[in-house]
Amino acid sequence: MLLLQLLINGIQVGALYGLTAVGFSLIFGSTKIFHFAHGSAFAIAAYVFYYLYSVTAAHWLVAALAAAVAAVLFGILLDRLVYAPIQRHEGSFFTVFVASFGVGIVVQNVLGMVFGRSFVAVSTPLSRSVEIFSGVFVSPLAGIAILCVALFFGGLQLFLMRTHIGMALRALSENTELVRVFGLRPRQLSTYAFALGSLLVVPAAILTAAGSGINPAIGHHVMLISLAATIVGGVGSLRGAACAGLLLGLAENLALWVFEPQWSEAVTFIVLFLFILFRPSGFFGRAVTS
Amino acid sequence: MLAYVLNLATLICINAILAITLNFIMGYAGIFSIAHAIFFGVGAYTAAFLAVSAGASIFVTVPVAMAVAGVLSLALALPALRVRGEYFVAASLGLQVIGVTIFSEWKSVTGGIGGVIGIPPIEVMGHALADPIEFLAVALLCLIAIIAVIHVLVGSSFGRNLKAIRDSESASLAFGKNVAVIKTLSVVLSASLAAVAGALYAYYLSFINVERFMRDTSVLIMAMVIIGGTGTLLGPIVGAALLMLLPGVLRYLPFLPQTEIGSIQQIAYGLAMVLLMIYRPGGIVGATGGEKK
Repeated sequence: MLLLQLLINGIQVGALYGLTAVGFSLIFGSTKIFHFAHGSAFAIAAYVFYYLYSVTAAHWLVAALAAAVAAVLFGILLDRLVYAPIQRHEGSFFTVFVASFGVGIVVQNVLGMVFGRSFVAVSTPLSRSVEIFSGVFVSPLAGIAILCVALFFGGLQLFLMRTHIGMALRALSENTELVRVFGLRPRQLSTYAFALGSLLVVPAAILTAAGSGINPAIGHHVMLISLAATIVGGVGSLRGAACAGLLLGLAENLALWVFEPQWSEAVTFIVLFLFILFRPSGFFGRAVTS
Repeated sequence: MLAYVLNLATLICINAILAITLNFIMGYAGIFSIAHAIFFGVGAYTAAFLAVSAGASIFVTVPVAMAVAGVLSLALALPALRVRGEYFVAASLGLQVIGVTIFSEWKSVTGGIGGVIGIPPIEVMGHALADPIEFLAVALLCLIAIIAVIHVLVGSSFGRNLKAIRDSESASLAFGKNVAVIKTLSVVLSASLAAVAGALYAYYLSFINVERFMRDTSVLIMAMVIIGGTGTLLGPIVGAALLMLLPGVLRYLPFLPQTEIGSIQQIAYGLAMVLLMIYRPGGIVGATGGEKK
């Protein structure tokens, strides 16, 4: 029974990891920007939702929309104000990474100062778990999480396959120079990528806030997982990122079956570490060593 | 006041050692590790464990700490040989998480969350260095020795090989350089010198626990190197001094809420990292732009 419970928890958590990872992978794959502050978009969305829904008692739809606006705005502003100037002069991988990391530190501490450093949870009518059969508890959020992931991932695939912007984004991930030759502007496309990628964290952020709760450091934790998922899934493969997110969520929860809970995060990174050592290109990735 | 200044100076020395050793792999070998606090921790725990349980002298604890950190650093060298850039950053972050878990769970050696207490002061020829001034002298001596070692290494053919690998791995391979050995050596060296800082730290505080070796510390060391200037000799020292002085300065600004000093400090260096990367990626000491790949 414990195994089944862990399996269900793993799928629920993993689905949300997958969605966040897809957002990161989309941004990283198309713009080559190592957007470490992606986790901050997650934290911002989660806290906006928490504040509006729990503190000011707004309607959940209003709160969710505001969270989405906040995350997208954060992504676009970051792209325009931080990444664009860096890319204008040299923009080596590390310069971008450090700047992005700096943003992550600032956001985490500002959130901590405004909302306090402890865990907060949004309690919704859907948060309570029900016993589906003896000893296995599932909250309706698990179903919603899986539904959301399917919906958003499907939507994203449709967008990338069918619309002009989507096709341009895919082209950007293949060859930036060629995109420019065709008269498209990579900078403008990069804004779209950031908007889309940041939008994808919103459902995950809201469901996490309503489920296990959030603290200002959650952005960092989520970022580590998305980074791990992106690499395990193979850089540039959205499908890979989604699968790997699911896998890491499962690994983290199934680890509880064998190890003590303190080890669950380490298990995730041991998986990552092994992948980097033995299969750096991930599940579906192109070979991208060194 | 004197005690405060001495304490700050000692901590600057210890952190400068960490920043210099990290800069050695970051600035010269192009290995961007976010796991430096792990080797700092390995040094501290090894020295503390030997000093407390075996009563070993500093002439035993420091070399053993260096050796242990050096061997464990192979865990970092391994991914560094396989992948570069973002992949390596991810691997080192992973190593940091795994390391902290081990620090807090291997209770028989590290004392778990509670840490190791009652580490005896450094004893040299029957004389215990209990006076903070004497300790500062030891820390300063270590700092100078490590600066000298790094300076000589960077100027030697080994240092030139490292820079060649940083700028183009395939070119140096084509010139017949043994890239794998050179990279591994640089990581081992950096880790074992960082362990010296760890041992000093353990002796200085006579108490260590896992909280001091978490990701925040790794990030702080990285920030010191970056803000000071990667790939320069003076940069990490300047960065270490600046970031260690920052909390003290903030405390004297009356309009800041005192309970939030920690957060404000982190916001300050986070912002500094962002702004420097936009306007001056070489750091305070470094050349404007250029130099890096």
